[in-house]
Amino acid sequence: MISTNSTGEPALRIENLDKYYGTFQALRGINLSVQRGEKIVVCGPSGSGKSTMIRCINRLEQHNGGRIAVLGTELNDDVGNIDEIRREVGMVFQHFNLFPHMTVLENCMISPMIVRKQPRAQAEATARHYLEKVRIPEQAMKYPSQLSGGQQQRVAIARALCMQPQIMLFDEPTSALDPEMVSEVLDVMVTLASEGMTMICVTHEMGFARRVADRVLFMDGGEILEEAPPDEFFTSSRNERTRQFVSQVLGH
Amino acid sequence: MVSLLRNQKVRNALLQVLYVGSIAAMVLAGIVIARRNLADQGITSGFDFLFKSTGWDVNFSLLPATANDPYWWYFLIGIINTLFLGSVGLILATIVGTIVGLARTSSNDLARLLGRTYVDIFRNIPLILQVFFWYAIITHLPTPRSAHEAWGFLLTSRGLYIPFPNVGSAAFAAATVAVIAAIVLPAWLGRTSLLAQPIGQRRTIQFAAAAAALACATIILALGRLPDTPLLDFPALQGLNLRGGLRIPPEFATLAIAIAIYGGSYIAEIVRGGFKSVGTGQVEAALSLGLSPWRVFTLVRLPLALRAMLPILANQYVWLMKATTMGIAVGFTDFFMIVALTINHSGQTLEAIGILMAGFLAINLSLAAVFNRINKAIALKGNQLRG
Repeated sequence: MISTNSTGEPALRIENLDKYYGTFQALRGINLSVQRGEKIVVCGPSGSGKSTMIRCINRLEQHNGGRIAVLGTELNDDVGNIDEIRREVGMVFQHFNLFPHMTVLENCMISPMIVRKQPRAQAEATARHYLEKVRIPEQAMKYPSQLSGGQQQRVAIARALCMQPQIMLFDEPTSALDPEMVSEVLDVMVTLASEGMTMICVTHEMGFARRVADRVLFMDGGEILEEAPPDEFFTSSRNERTRQFVSQVLGH
Repeated sequence: MVSLLRNQKVRNALLQVLYVGSIAAMVLAGIVIARRNLADQGITSGFDFLFKSTGWDVNFSLLPATANDPYWWYFLIGIINTLFLGSVGLILATIVGTIVGLARTSSNDLARLLGRTYVDIFRNIPLILQVFFWYAIITHLPTPRSAHEAWGFLLTSRGLYIPFPNVGSAAFAAATVAVIAAIVLPAWLGRTSLLAQPIGQRRTIQFAAAAAALACATIILALGRLPDTPLLDFPALQGLNLRGGLRIPPEFATLAIAIAIYGGSYIAEIVRGGFKSVGTGQVEAALSLGLSPWRVFTLVRLPLALRAMLPILANQYVWLMKATTMGIAVGFTDFFMIVALTINHSGQTLEAIGILMAGFLAINLSLAAVFNRINKAIALKGNQLRG
């Protein structure tokens, strides 16, 4: 599972990334380098390009300029490269996006069996292991719609982990949840972080950012305006726009 | 007494009795009047005519038919013709509809434009006009002498001639069943053992099943082959007519094409709607898990789209089954045309129409029942939330 061209290469390197939707420029010259095991929290107002940026990392969006290298593999039009990167990069979405026609267990097993060509027994063992880890082993045979939002999101995390990815992307994983379910998902993410997973999270959960982030990024207008360790980010930001945003999200 | 009438339950019961009673009275009156009128015209009502011989021929039959055969046998022929035309039409319409529907959801501009044009044209022209259009085209094809020929297929105004294996009809029917099994069996095995085996092993089992069924078909054909004939019988000109091969009559071809093209335009919209209803979120999730676009299609988009399509598709199939009654417009002896001829020849109008209605009810209710079963079996569990 360990990538061959590992040692010196960062987990993720983004250089001068541009992304357009028609004539609208969603990302302007983004530069970002993420080391293995690093946890990055990305925040910013809606429409600032945070989701677009992390969706570029596994090619759910195609970038128009600059370059992205994931685990040393260049992300370009090469389908082989795209497949390789998607195998190693897990993603968790705001709306869970579980497959409604499959049980929780099948959701977790399908990709390892087909993409990683694992035998059923092994895939099931892996799936049950990760369902245990997200603390819902007893829901394995249920269908996604029979679960609560928080449970569904934890299944989504388990499903991504079953591919044993090296990087996990989280796109506002708690934004669609009822307040009392947010913490059960964040707890799982904190555990994951403590185990050394490389994580890039778009989230407005500032408590989570404080606890686990190595760096917090603030984006607005398609640019990264600020990049700092959480303490510095929340207390002594140099950027006026960042200070305004921080006071708004922490204000109540 | 008055207080009893003020009781809600008593009132409801009384209304119910009144309602059922008046319907029964109407039906009874209808029957009595009809019987009296028929008796006045000297027509005896009843179903005795079913066992009399018809005295006329049918131009298309999958079963042996002569003018000496009784009416009930002709009705059976009609139902089988309708079912045969219906199944061929439905299968072709589904193929056309799937292709056009996928073209309409494609990211390719040209494919979308073509798909849209197709649907706009064929959905908005009445079916009967399309039937006449195709019939005119087919009957204006060249005579057998100057037929269009390609790979042993002949296109003529007398129908489409195709090479056909020289086998007995029983063997051919058995072989057809085996070929259908070769298609259905792997799909069924794929469903029942989905995820039960590693993907490679599943494939092997599916291939083995298909191969076994096809081998059976070959053996049946080889055994059932008529003695001293070549395996394939090619149509060829003999005198002024064509001999050999299988002739698909212009009437059948017309209706099959018309149902396929017209039905295809409706099914295309159903297919498009089905695929549009699949959340982009599920597709993105599948892609982010590293599944190939083809796998995303077969494992996520298609199964979810099918679930959305099925109820509407069942409705469309029932509709198209009824469209086979267009047979009377071009002279194809479907169930409806047989009933119409029966009425002309025997005068047993009410009985024949009763049989016609009962027959179509039976066909379409069974079709609907099959689809309901499938629908229930694959329905998504619980309340669906699509993100």
